[in-house]
Amino acid sequence: MSDADLAREELKAAIARLADGDRSALEFIYQATSAKLFGICLRILGTRDDAEDALQDVYVSLWRSADRYDPARASPISWLATFARNRAIDRLRSGKVQSGAVPVDEAMEISDETPLADEQLEVQQSNAQVHHCIETLEERQRDAIRTAFFHGATYAELAETQGVPLGTMKSWVRRGLAKLKRCLEA
Amino acid sequence: MTDSNPTSPEMTDKDRLAAEHALRLLEGEELITARGLMASDPAFAAAVADWEEKLAPLYDGASGTVPPPAVWARIEAELARPARSAASANVVALQRRVRRWQIASVLSAAAAVALAFFAFPGTKPAPAEPTAPLMANIPIADTPLRLAVTYLPERSEMLVSASGLTADGVHDHELWLVTPDDGAKSLGVVVPGEQRRVAVDAALTRHINDGAQMVLTREPLGGAPKGQDAGPVVAQGTFVQI
Repeated sequence: MSDADLAREELKAAIARLADGDRSALEFIYQATSAKLFGICLRILGTRDDAEDALQDVYVSLWRSADRYDPARASPISWLATFARNRAIDRLRSGKVQSGAVPVDEAMEISDETPLADEQLEVQQSNAQVHHCIETLEERQRDAIRTAFFHGATYAELAETQGVPLGTMKSWVRRGLAKLKRCLEA
Repeated sequence: MTDSNPTSPEMTDKDRLAAEHALRLLEGEELITARGLMASDPAFAAAVADWEEKLAPLYDGASGTVPPPAVWARIEAELARPARSAASANVVALQRRVRRWQIASVLSAAAAVALAFFAFPGTKPAPAEPTAPLMANIPIADTPLRLAVTYLPERSEMLVSASGLTADGVHDHELWLVTPDDGAKSLGVVVPGEQRRVAVDAALTRHINDGAQMVLTREPLGGAPKGQDAGPVVAQGTFVQI
């Protein structure tokens, strides 16, 4: 078993322990994934304060929701990343964010010290089909989908940022998604 | 460009909506539609999960950032906090127990179905009684839907409003009162899209008080089969004095 496999299996096992009520498993999960999930929250929320609140919310919620993870269906790091992304976006849109929109660049300058565990978790996925497929899209389709994915932008926000009508933006993204789907299923 | 259709032919409207919801692009009516489908259409929910799983590796190359140590300290403190966290840890523990319990339902599903159904006496003022009514709002996970439960102690009746829910034809939802001693007791199957009035068994009324917990489980049609474990907990709520 490679290091990457081992890291994934350890993480899966920790989520299962957490689902069984073993709170100590949360610390293991936090050590292995918090840098990645904090990065996800930072990109969506834009400031450290809001991202820290979101990160706290993510792990406290995880304690309650760990039993929703199905190891047969999703890789543990994908599931956790999606979980964090969705919680952070809910937060962004629920008005809980106090600082308002602040340039994301500020958040992005923060040091990049991905711990080893995170890197190992990613090795297996770096060949994921989506990396190839997203490159097959037209630039404007790709940019819109990436912005929605990383920053949690809605159609309306994407349209405003790009200065195009809402219908135009929807059309770009929908074409992009259709193409992405064909490629992902190919 | 010959492609005048914004979506490709092999992508149905529902496929498209699933992808858009996975990306969290939607607002307004479309968002409500997507959330409704998440709750009522397992194929749609699976399609959203599939998109999420396929998109998640996009994070691979993205830089991580080590959070300050204070965040972990706050997480630990929140999990250990007596007041709220006792309640939330309790709910987690209860959820898990509910799944394992052999549940002896006080109200059989058949009895629940046979319960009288009346119009909600909307504006009728609650008479001043020994105990004021209790309310519980039970949000359904990942949807804007909620189940509203009002307990009227003077009548030993509950008003269960599931007006936003839709039936999927495969499952029923069953409401359980979590009692400290005897585990979960069925309060009957919830009828989607309806508001109904349910008489509460006398043995249960003493357990309904401020802070009492309820859970909603997904069951086969007709409710949890007698003598079998309850289905998965899909929502939970707490009675509060109003």
